[in-house]
Amino acid sequence: MLKALPAARWDYDTAAHLLNRAGFGGPPSVIETLAGLNPDDALSTLLDYERYADPTPAPDWAKPDPEGVKQLREAARNATPDERRKLYQAEMRVQFQRLMELRGWWLNRMAKGPRPFQEKMVLFWHGHFATSFDKVRNAYYMWRQNELFRRLATGNWQELLTFAGKDPAMLIWLDQAQSRRPHANENFAREVMELFSLGIGNYTEQDVTEGARALTGWSLDPLNQEYVYRPLFHDNSIKTFLGRTGNLDGDDVIAQIVAQPAAAPFITAKLWNYFAGQAPSDELNGALADAFRENGNNFKPFLRIMFRSEEFYDPVIVRNQVKSPVQWLVGTARVLECDLPPTMICEGILRQLGQDLFAPPNVKGWDGGIAWITTTTLLDRYNTAAILVQGADVPRARLEAMQQMTPMTGNPSEAWGKRVHVGGVDVDTILSPDERMDKDRLVAALQHRLLQSALKGDQAKALGDFLNARDRLNEADIRAAIRLVMCTPEYQVT
Amino acid sequence: MKNEITLQTRRQFLRSTVLGSALTWTVPAFLADTFAALHSEAADSAKQIITGKDASILVVLQMAGGNDGINTVVPYTNDYYRNARPKLGLTAQQVLSLNGEIGFHNALTGFKNLYDAGHLTVVQGVGYPNPNRSHFRSSEIWQTASDADKVEKYGWLGRYFDNACTGCDPTVGVDIGGQMPQSFYAQTPTGISLANPQNYRFMSPGRFRPGQVDLLEESYEKMNEMPDAADAAPDVNSGGSIGALAAGMPQPGGSVLHFIERTALDAQMSSDQIRAIVARVKNQVSYPSTKLAGDLKLVAQLIAGGLPTRVYYVSQGGYDTHVNQAGTQQRLLKELGDAVNAFVGDLKAQGNLQRVLVMTFSEFGRRVTENASGGTDHGAAAPMFVIGDKVKAGLLGRYPSLAPQDLFEGDIKYTVDFRSVYAGVLESWLKTRSAPILGRQFEALPLV
Repeated sequence: MLKALPAARWDYDTAAHLLNRAGFGGPPSVIETLAGLNPDDALSTLLDYERYADPTPAPDWAKPDPEGVKQLREAARNATPDERRKLYQAEMRVQFQRLMELRGWWLNRMAKGPRPFQEKMVLFWHGHFATSFDKVRNAYYMWRQNELFRRLATGNWQELLTFAGKDPAMLIWLDQAQSRRPHANENFAREVMELFSLGIGNYTEQDVTEGARALTGWSLDPLNQEYVYRPLFHDNSIKTFLGRTGNLDGDDVIAQIVAQPAAAPFITAKLWNYFAGQAPSDELNGALADAFRENGNNFKPFLRIMFRSEEFYDPVIVRNQVKSPVQWLVGTARVLECDLPPTMICEGILRQLGQDLFAPPNVKGWDGGIAWITTTTLLDRYNTAAILVQGADVPRARLEAMQQMTPMTGNPSEAWGKRVHVGGVDVDTILSPDERMDKDRLVAALQHRLLQSALKGDQAKALGDFLNARDRLNEADIRAAIRLVMCTPEYQVT
Repeated sequence: MKNEITLQTRRQFLRSTVLGSALTWTVPAFLADTFAALHSEAADSAKQIITGKDASILVVLQMAGGNDGINTVVPYTNDYYRNARPKLGLTAQQVLSLNGEIGFHNALTGFKNLYDAGHLTVVQGVGYPNPNRSHFRSSEIWQTASDADKVEKYGWLGRYFDNACTGCDPTVGVDIGGQMPQSFYAQTPTGISLANPQNYRFMSPGRFRPGQVDLLEESYEKMNEMPDAADAAPDVNSGGSIGALAAGMPQPGGSVLHFIERTALDAQMSSDQIRAIVARVKNQVSYPSTKLAGDLKLVAQLIAGGLPTRVYYVSQGGYDTHVNQAGTQQRLLKELGDAVNAFVGDLKAQGNLQRVLVMTFSEFGRRVTENASGGTDHGAAAPMFVIGDKVKAGLLGRYPSLAPQDLFEGDIKYTVDFRSVYAGVLESWLKTRSAPILGRQFEALPLV
């Protein structure tokens, strides 16, 4: 049912579309390289990422710390309430500091790493399993979940769903760690079906309560900071879940879910929406679900078929997706061939634009699509563009503390001291001398690089007028022009 | 200097095209007022607004996560209640009694204060037939005012904008926060979203040559103009299938680009107005330092400043108390009551209280029986609060029975359909017919 894109249609535009959607976009040189390959090989450079070494080491705190947990427990046990509060605050400061490092660690993998498609899938799973540091309160757990998504990014659905359920961050996030007979907590049992695998209408309220009973026993060992099965918590009675009866446990629950007819179309529709930017028709999704099942519920072969399909390159799909804030930020760094701003700034940007990494708004994740765009977030994007293109002034002390991972103390306004200028676009890297001198060529080059399409006539004229007000263009003028192109509705779509 | 003049002219032109086209139709009186106000300097004066024959304002306050209504408006003398809540149950000493049988959670001193002053109505047992226990589906039902088995594309406030405010200023609906609520989704996208008024503008940081900043800003405005916005084709996908996707996933009606163009224009048009108001208008009372209080504080400023807004939307999250509910709900309800109490005091001091109605809602209440983790799971009906100068203060409707034989799957049954509350708000407060907005005629609850 899915037709392959004819090789004759493989060109600069289709290659750019693939790179935008299966990755975070890139500069013209990278698109040209992709367009020069045949479509299967081009796709392979993104999907078969295992062939590229992954050079980013894990943060040094990213491991279980039973000694630390024990020490904190003992200190808290012997402390007065006031001391206990201080202990807790100190611990949270460390955790927040690590969270920031974790965000920078991940964003740089997306912006600079050799495996953009893998990171795009990690971002999908993060939005799908939507777990928040707000409740988990532990950076190691958040990192661990992120690594799980990376390891199984394009693997098998049942395996991923099982590991995601037993993942410490998830066990905390949806209260499964505390669920025990005889009053099982229904939080995970409900959301695993409603939001992660089947969707409303494909299970009953009885399946929720019986599933919750079957899942009891899945729990967390807070000392060794890993999953543990607690037989005493487990409800050993007979349950009936999605039509199967017996003394079911959590693994049975996941297996039964994945075997449902509704399971494949649920996840394929969500993946299509994520990559193509709109809901698939029922007919298209039927074909997608078939392809997923035929490939044993494995994501990579399914996604290869999807990205190779003619449907994916339909004119209603191309340049008709709102960039998510992460896509917008990371894509800008890739397209302008510049570094991301310091993580403390990236954190603030993403929070304002509505996609706080490791802190989705709720278990449903980010709504995405046009919900990314409101009058507020649009103005925020326009103003953030200035920071990315022109750089930013950052308090020196804050920057140093961040680079050395030492928590800041004291009054920010007094202790943070002088500001230093960081980041910004190097116009010599992305524009030839001719493009920097000749205003018409500059306008054309910026549209080609930033939009892969054209501005409307009035917009191009306004940009031209802005440049023509100068006799000779200096760097600040060129940066301002780049920013103006980013301050258009056109730059917000991909 | 020259730039400034062209700027002014172009904006006026823009506004006339977008708003003026609507004026050629016959429109409700408030719209004409709105339009006139927009073009008059006097509209910026709070005095004018207070004394004028001005339109009513609705403030919708969402309590997101599913508030435990049973521990909010507490039937503390009820045996079934005490049996179902061995750990979480509140005693006579732990409630603010309203009538000897029912009392507010003790954190709601702010609400008790408003209740005693005759400014607060409790609508008891609000819900809908065939309740859904999913946060997202149930929120969607509340936001779109649909039946539980139907999916509506647009929000109930969006349909109000479509029906009653065609061609209004974009600030007719103002959401405080970054994310547009689903209830605002409309055929013609209407309403703005506002988080921080200081940043609600195009800014030009960095070092520029003299005059360049003006030029930059002017270029930005030109590159975001869309003079044909008002004539653009309406959303043709209305009522279309939502396919296999989870309900509520926003889908663009027309092209994505068109939606962003429209938003860019609204941002440009509302930015000057809002910043001017925030710079000029001061709050009359001090507010607690919580996020909800900060949001309501901003709403009070915008009301005093005379923004032509009919609906404000604020939200407070965190009510999904599956675990250790007692402390969490205590904190949230205190935040809620104190923030609303300060807001009402501010409006009163402004002389605007008689124009404003606050309505709270939550997507569902919670299970009657507490769970083993010191929390409660998703339930069904719960109370709503309606607050204002002219409300019929007291308890409206009937407290649903907690007797086990009267429960459905462990949940209380609703006694008032939430759409009756909406109908009451639309008809008696916003002065518009509710049936075209709610799909059919619901009994309009007498709220004011």
